[in-house]
Amino acid sequence: MISLSVNGKTVRVPEGTRLLDAIRGAGFDVTTLCDHPALEPWGGCRLCLVDVTRKEWDGWCKMVVSCMFPAEDGLVVLTDTERVQRTRRVVADLLLARCPDTPLVQKVAARLGVERTSYAPNPEPTDCILCALCTRVCDHIGVSAIASVNRGAGREIAPPFHDAPPDCIGCLACAEICPTSCIPYETSDGSRTIWGKTFEMLRCTRCGRAHVTKEEARHFAARTGVPESYFDLCDACKREDMAKQFTRLSEGARTSP
Amino acid sequence: MEKIYRVVVERCIACGKCELACAFAHGSEGKPSKTRINIFKRGPELGTPVVCFQCDDAACAAVCPTEALVRNEKTGAIEMVRERCISCRMCVAACPFGNMLWDETYHCVQKCDLCGGDPKCVPFCPTHALEYLPAGEAARKPEPLAWASPSK
Repeated sequence: MISLSVNGKTVRVPEGTRLLDAIRGAGFDVTTLCDHPALEPWGGCRLCLVDVTRKEWDGWCKMVVSCMFPAEDGLVVLTDTERVQRTRRVVADLLLARCPDTPLVQKVAARLGVERTSYAPNPEPTDCILCALCTRVCDHIGVSAIASVNRGAGREIAPPFHDAPPDCIGCLACAEICPTSCIPYETSDGSRTIWGKTFEMLRCTRCGRAHVTKEEARHFAARTGVPESYFDLCDACKREDMAKQFTRLSEGARTSP
Repeated sequence: MEKIYRVVVERCIACGKCELACAFAHGSEGKPSKTRINIFKRGPELGTPVVCFQCDDAACAAVCPTEALVRNEKTGAIEMVRERCISCRMCVAACPFGNMLWDETYHCVQKCDLCGGDPKCVPFCPTHALEYLPAGEAARKPEPLAWASPSK
């Protein structure tokens, strides 16, 4: 265990704890946009900035993103100094210029004290805040069909060459995790479309309900070692099979001596 | 594990109270279709409830890429840690019994977690088809209920 001070409060955390978790554990709130408990920290949104210092640094302090910075023994953390607040406001201001119409950004900016952006608003407003949760979740499940491309103002999330991504399995995890719901997809009976790629769905061989994409079945089968025939039945029909087996068992129990 | 969730199939009269209790308990707007326990009718007023078995070697937990499905050592149930779930639905495809349920209303996976040790369906079951018993009692073969026996 190591011990550090957060806004004057001493906290003890296991070695290797992220500074962000130590701060939250101490009971202080830090606004974040790109952090997710299930994914590797990324340091993308820059909203979790805090000042850190040490007694021996004679008042000098440095600013770090707390989601990427490991908690250290003896560290003195200040989450709400004037400098930190000002820097966070710049980040929020820039985000608001990029995404002026996005409710989540408006809310976060307002919480940090920015009602309207001081920069020229984006002529092409977008809802994408470049948090990269979508690309990270795609990497995490072992698909990596999308990535962030280009730099600076031209940066965006896209499949390779803006074509239908060959590696995408159509699981929709990117669209589900997107905090601003800005990844469009369409589902209809028998097909699913995302990132410009249309997936044919596998139908339950018994009830005919479309339940997974062919690519999902292939991915899951390769990942887990089950045969692709594992996905012949949908979850409802698997439950029905279970119920029938239970019924048989209970009838067997009743007639047995 | 101190207590065991027991289903006595012969006692189920397919009244659907467990499904409703579950749907209400888990914020699914009380829609019986959003329940984590499902009754399959096997005749007039006879049903077979199907609910998560909390498998020892669970396919859902093994396949989850974010370790969002975690065993609660106290209740023995596999619980969903919502914050870690990325809605990839691998568990839904992986469960051999179809007991991981995708909830289109809330865009999340629903699974029975024994309500953290106080299963809400149990007190609503009028025929004791669903019981939550001390481990020692659960292993005993269920007797016909006294009030349900025709000789009494």
